[in-house]
Amino acid sequence: MDASSAPFPVRHKKLSLDIQGNKTDIVICSYDDHFLVIATQIGSMGTTLRARKEEGVSIHPTFCVSVIFGKRDEPILVACARQLIEHISNCGSSLPLVLSLGLKDHSVGTLKGVVTAVIANRLW
Amino acid sequence: MAQGSLDSNGDITYPTSIDGESSAANVNAGLDRLRINAADENDDDGAVQITCFSDLSDDLTLHFQIIRLHKQIYAWIGCNSAKFGHLYAAAPTRPNNMVSVTSLLGGASDNTGSGIARRIVLKTGLNVVLACNIPKDSPMLEAAAEKKLVRKLIDLGYTKSKI
Repeated sequence: MDASSAPFPVRHKKLSLDIQGNKTDIVICSYDDHFLVIATQIGSMGTTLRARKEEGVSIHPTFCVSVIFGKRDEPILVACARQLIEHISNCGSSLPLVLSLGLKDHSVGTLKGVVTAVIANRLW
Repeated sequence: MAQGSLDSNGDITYPTSIDGESSAANVNAGLDRLRINAADENDDDGAVQITCFSDLSDDLTLHFQIIRLHKQIYAWIGCNSAKFGHLYAAAPTRPNNMVSVTSLLGGASDNTGSGIARRIVLKTGLNVVLACNIPKDSPMLEAAAEKKLVRKLIDLGYTKSKI
């Protein structure tokens, strides 16, 4: 028996755009306790990072970003995750982010394009 | 049958028919449609496809989300909630086609999803990233979820050959 009467509990958005000449597919999913963002130009999830806001009493929040799969020597990917988790926090959500970046190049322009597109289509 | 001639553009031109309408435009339009259709098929091969469905059985609702990338599948299994759960990656590995699984998030003491991920790769030959929030120590639920997910992957035509 299908639970077809209730809406699916996970919201998602899918978009495809050109970033620096490369076709980029972006999927954003909103779970109860995480956000998932996949941005791929290579047909696979690529490097996966996890970013979360740390508990603290300070006015200014701090964030922890780590690579959980893939390239660990590309700081620009960490910076991309850091920028997105800060945006999530500024929008009032404390949920952590799982970010997958399967990109053909790791130039500043490409990562900026990804961040811009994700923020424009955010689910937080 | 009308005889046509090849012009400098490589198009075939036909003499106009008796009622004055040219059939050359029809032929060229048909060729254009074929080119457009071929491009669409190529685009679909690389397009991301998302499938979401739920299944209610024994007072439990299992939610499934499948995101198909060109070379990889991401799947999420939710049991009664939309919590993300533990994250695993699994893939066939050379040289002897065994399956390798690794836990990416959580899963240190609870490997419920790792077995599912491993068996999906065995049965489908796909490169898989699986998120799963099925509670531990629920082998029947785990088996039911795995069966439904594998069935759906086969029905959607995503599978390669079994390992």
